[in-house]
Amino acid sequence: MSRILTMARAGREALDWEMERRPEIVCLGEDVFKMGGIFGTMDGFGAKYGPERVISTPISETGFIGMAAGAAMAGMHPVVDLAYIDFIGVCYNVLLNCASKTHYMSGGAVKVPMTLLIGTGGGYNNAAQHSQCLHATVAHIPGVKVVYPSNAYDAKGMLHTALRDDNFVIYLTHKGTAGVGWMGPPIPTTLAEVPEEPYTVPFGRVKVYREGTDVTVTGLGMSVHEALKAAAELEKEGISVEVVDLRSLVPLDREGIMESVAKTGRLVVTDEDYLSYGVSGEVIATVAERDPGVFKKPPVRVTMPDIPIPFSRPLEQAVLPLAGRIADAVRRLMS
Amino acid sequence: MPLTPELRRGFWRTMCLSRAFDDAMIALYWEGKLPIFQFGAGPLPGELHCSNGAEPVGAGVCAALGPEDMITADHRPHHVAVARGVDLDRMAAELLGRRTGLSQGKGGHMHIYDPAVNFASSGIIAEGMAVAAGMALARRLQKRPGIAVAFIGEGAANQGAFHEVCNMVGLWKLPVVVVVQDNEWAVSTGKRESTAVERNSDRASAYAMAGEWVGTNDPDDIFLAAERAVARARAGEGGTILELRTARLAGHFMGDQQAYIPAQMKQVDPLPLYREKLIRDGVLSAEEADAIAAEAKARIARAVEFAKASPWPEPAEAMAHVFAGEPA
Amino acid sequence: MATDVIIPHDLWEEDDKTGSIVVWLYRDGSTVRQGDVIAEVLVEKVTLELVAPASGVLRIRVEPEVVVSKGDLVAVIE
Ligand SMILES: Cc1ncc(C[n+]2csc(CCOP(=O)(O)OP(=O)(O)O)c2C)c(N)n1
Repeated sequence: MSRILTMARAGREALDWEMERRPEIVCLGEDVFKMGGIFGTMDGFGAKYGPERVISTPISETGFIGMAAGAAMAGMHPVVDLAYIDFIGVCYNVLLNCASKTHYMSGGAVKVPMTLLIGTGGGYNNAAQHSQCLHATVAHIPGVKVVYPSNAYDAKGMLHTALRDDNFVIYLTHKGTAGVGWMGPPIPTTLAEVPEEPYTVPFGRVKVYREGTDVTVTGLGMSVHEALKAAAELEKEGISVEVVDLRSLVPLDREGIMESVAKTGRLVVTDEDYLSYGVSGEVIATVAERDPGVFKKPPVRVTMPDIPIPFSRPLEQAVLPLAGRIADAVRRLMS
Repeated sequence: MPLTPELRRGFWRTMCLSRAFDDAMIALYWEGKLPIFQFGAGPLPGELHCSNGAEPVGAGVCAALGPEDMITADHRPHHVAVARGVDLDRMAAELLGRRTGLSQGKGGHMHIYDPAVNFASSGIIAEGMAVAAGMALARRLQKRPGIAVAFIGEGAANQGAFHEVCNMVGLWKLPVVVVVQDNEWAVSTGKRESTAVERNSDRASAYAMAGEWVGTNDPDDIFLAAERAVARARAGEGGTILELRTARLAGHFMGDQQAYIPAQMKQVDPLPLYREKLIRDGVLSAEEADAIAAEAKARIARAVEFAKASPWPEPAEAMAHVFAGEPA
Repeated sequence: MATDVIIPHDLWEEDDKTGSIVVWLYRDGSTVRQGDVIAEVLVEKVTLELVAPASGVLRIRVEPEVVVSKGDLVAVIE
């Protein structure tokens, strides 16, 4: 097998395969019929499946994402494209109080199988309202699964898994990793050989991209690739970095994290989301709760600081958790 | 205010200035992004939504406002900002992410704030609806003069915020003018494909607001309608939904090929039309009209020069301004 | 027998515009089938698909991020 795909293509392949076979899957979102969504999650689907199954909506996120939840309760499996996670503010009640809680509040009587595809992240000067990650903001809600593939193989397998799940799944893609041409050349480590047949990648397992013995660096989405760059750099200095992709926030593979840190004894947590009250703290708590004795040094976080994301290039570049900052953190732990 | 020749020359000047600003930004946008496009490259990275075609809206509505009035605009703010008198040098510098920008490079093109002229904008669709209504409420509570104008697109009129806020404006008779700029498209989605009624001004009756519609994209007509809406607001008669047919000549954002627009829906550039009209009406000679346009270009060229010559912010400045009351 | 993979003249409209390969969807030396999408081509902000004109072994001649014009040879299928 030698076919290499971008994440966007790999994800589309999974959705297409499921749509071909399952009439209950219906696509919704702004500009999905003609354009396949801003980030091309449904590229070509309008022509293939028609306007009944690929529904371009008004700019009414509260309405159509709420309707997706309703349709899910009534036996459909809606797949909703919400281009930028920054827009969840408009429809947050559906996420927070409806799609996530209905199964529980009904004592398991009512299922809400729906998949929400959302783009995250910055790094391309789109400023404070179009660059956020906010994955912790959704992962904090009980009752929603949150997954975050960082390469094409996982993109396809995890979307198959999401589409076959009976729950509300938020499927995140960092915009810079998707391999959408106009965002810039695809990051090589996001590209992967992808089988043509369908396959699933289970939720709740970390992926060790690169084994190492000195320091564990965890990441998700784009920060995985920054960590990989840092690891390659550090290897030249004789530092062996293990890069662990969390890739599923809910459920989170806490044992997988522990296993790596128990081995290396040093932990750098990278996250493009805001520093406080987020995934980075959760990862460290996971280890601390199991055995703080494994830490040879206190863990370090390399994240977006607690500031709105600035527009100007030198400002944004200074606050992103880029490879240079990650490598510096690792060096500090090793000194 | 009658539609004097002076006022109309002013419309022309404002429209030329706005067009020159956008044309200059478009040129800067493509710098460094060709031959191989990359979103974050060049002197003006990120998204850029230009106002080419919507200049009459900014010119006509802003001429009906006083300095005490407040404005919220959306992701396509340049034409309103220029017409409102937002500092051109500092706006250009903001788009280029420079330290001399209106927000010292923190905001960028969708987030233009100039409190000196009561101007604010946001990249989240329909966010400005409630903000404008809140500004109007504040002035009422403070017993100070001033109405608020929310500039939104026709696509934004389908957000929940639009309907919630219109209801409160109607309920409390708030001095708010909602300017719905109908350029037919919200990204690739046509108005007919997204909106249950033909005119958003018809929705006014559901909220005890006045509704007006102008279909010409001509600043004279827009000004007169805006004046009526502003007068109602000032007189305590409440809000207006003022829907204005306009145009989006440079696509949704830079790089939009607009393959979804059928040939028969091609939009008309309002600038040559208005120029002809002014000449026909004897308000301006062709030479005078062109001199104004050339002056506008020269003014914008100076703004661009100012921006380009400005320093970048220091990386550490990223941490400043999260909260008020802290040293910057 | 080898088939040239050239940028088709009808891939985009304006003849004077140039593009670039965003990504090859097969590695150099792998087997492709006629009709497979083998690369993505970016023209300004639009991504287009390059389709294999024949079946065989792909020999890549032009790497991503190099400017290409209509009619340019970018690969050969053997
Ligand atoms: C809440 C929210 N949803 C979606 C978007 C993405 N978006 C940006 S502009 C736009 C279209 C807006 O159309 P309209 O209001 O008619 O203004 P126009 O672009 O035509 O000027 C969309 C969908 C957004 N910025 N905010």
